[in-house]
Amino acid sequence: MKETTTSPRLLLAQRVAAILILLGIWWLVIASGAVPSMLPGVSQILAAIGKAFVSAAFWGALGKTLLAALSGWAIAAVVGVVAGLVIGSINFLDRSTSILVDFGRSFPVLALMPVVIMLLGSNARMEIVVVALSCLWPVLVQTVYGARRQEAAVSDTVAVFRIPPLLRFRRVLLPSALPFIATGVRISASVALLIAVGVEVISQAPGIGRQITLMQQEQRWDMAFAYLFFTGMVGWAMAAVLQRFENRLLIWKRQEND
Amino acid sequence: MTAPVQADSQLAQSTLLMKVRGMTMSYGSGTAENKILENLDLDVNTGEFISIVGPSGVGKTTLLRCLSGLLHPKAGTIEVGGAIIDGPHPDLAVVFQDYSRSLMPWMTTRENVAFPLQGKGMNKADRIRVAEENLAAVGLAGQGGKYPWEMSGGMQQRVAIARALAYNAKVLLMDEPFASVDAQTRFDLEDLVIKLKQEFGVTILLVTHDIDEALYLADKVVVIAEKPATVVDVIVTGFGEERDQVDTKADPRFGEARARILHRLRKN
Ligand SMILES: Nc1ncnc2c1ncn2[C@@H]1O[C@H](COP(=O)(O)OP(=O)(O)O)[C@@H](O)[C@H]1O
Ligand SMILES: [Mg+2]
Repeated sequence: MKETTTSPRLLLAQRVAAILILLGIWWLVIASGAVPSMLPGVSQILAAIGKAFVSAAFWGALGKTLLAALSGWAIAAVVGVVAGLVIGSINFLDRSTSILVDFGRSFPVLALMPVVIMLLGSNARMEIVVVALSCLWPVLVQTVYGARRQEAAVSDTVAVFRIPPLLRFRRVLLPSALPFIATGVRISASVALLIAVGVEVISQAPGIGRQITLMQQEQRWDMAFAYLFFTGMVGWAMAAVLQRFENRLLIWKRQEND
Repeated sequence: MTAPVQADSQLAQSTLLMKVRGMTMSYGSGTAENKILENLDLDVNTGEFISIVGPSGVGKTTLLRCLSGLLHPKAGTIEVGGAIIDGPHPDLAVVFQDYSRSLMPWMTTRENVAFPLQGKGMNKADRIRVAEENLAAVGLAGQGGKYPWEMSGGMQQRVAIARALAYNAKVLLMDEPFASVDAQTRFDLEDLVIKLKQEFGVTILLVTHDIDEALYLADKVVVIAEKPATVVDVIVTGFGEERDQVDTKADPRFGEARARILHRLRKN
């Protein structure tokens, strides 16, 4: 009850306060000397963030990471939605593939990296493939789930009015599964960024992850943390934009739930 | 074998549009078999309004789902215009009992009405025009841009009726279409359906558990009862084209017919 009556301003103030308190604790921990001295303090990181902001190398690296993350994510979204709708709407396919889907979703794709690097090399294409393979599962699982839950009255309507399969796919199956698809796509957006950075750290393909490793090797912990911070901000911004888009797209769903 | 009561003499000159013979339906199989319909016969003439009345749980929805091709009867045949049908057919449109769920919430009412036309391959401009015309016919002119969930139950039901009308089928099948709206809305919708039948000459087959509604609307009332259900009586109402919620229901023949149906249903 209480949350729903909180004004947006108060909410913003609360969130800012939470971040400030967290930073305060960090500063206290550093000041007390309880952790290794290589961990940079709040002020150093702020300075490093400012430096990164005006560095061409940083923006170049961020661009490469984002490009790989978004490409892999987009591929996964399209493949996952189409495959998920087909699997979820056809009973026997759903039954026969459920083991495969469960296996795939819990498979650590990063562990496959050596093989993928051997096959494709240490480049953007490899990175996109690994991102896509990782993002596929959240989208696929959610879409299958959404496509399964067809309202009986809607299925009857589609049958009685003899709606052709492709039209049904596009105008009935897809929109009715959309609330679930949206969740899967949103989850996989943050997965995409994490995996892209992770792949760069492991494979040294160019991007933010590689920059972070280089900074660590140069003992520039403040810069490494600044890059991490930026990556987090980008992930948060992506999720926020998607949430917005989702709210607009699913206006009918919100109304239904009221 | 139960022969249907023959009461078609007055309508003998009209043409037979839909013919059901020996329809038998059950759910489950083997020892768990639950027989719902047994050897049911039905004749529907062009332009006729037929009510099928029977108590709740007798198998009215099952019957309508068989007629609309959503269920396959275990035995018997359904003919429309002389051809045996097996599955959903372009000559049959349905208004569902669960009408509000049968409208797609992600489509506007106009899109909902136009959607089956898109399936028929009609171009967009024509679809929109036909949808608007049919929305106007059910009293929803200018409301096509609204979403179903922005509308009252009675209005949603009008949209479902407009969708079935726009499909331009020969027969409209309706499953307890007014069971979940308030009394005044229900009277309005009943009169709307009578008006549509007169205006468009559409043939209507409506199932209901409400004896008054069945009598008020129909040219012919088919009573189904027993377990498994079969046709136990057919009454030609003879009230003519014009109906009135007060006068028609005060007609002595209305009372007689109601008593006859009640009596027939209470025997079971
Ligand atoms: N899908 C189904 N599976 C099994 N039994 C069903 C199913 N649908 C209906 N029935 C049973 O068939 C009988 C008739 O149901 P129904 O046709 O819905 O009756 P009505 O519409 O007259 O109330 C009921 O006893 C019901 O329990
Ligand atoms: Mg029913």
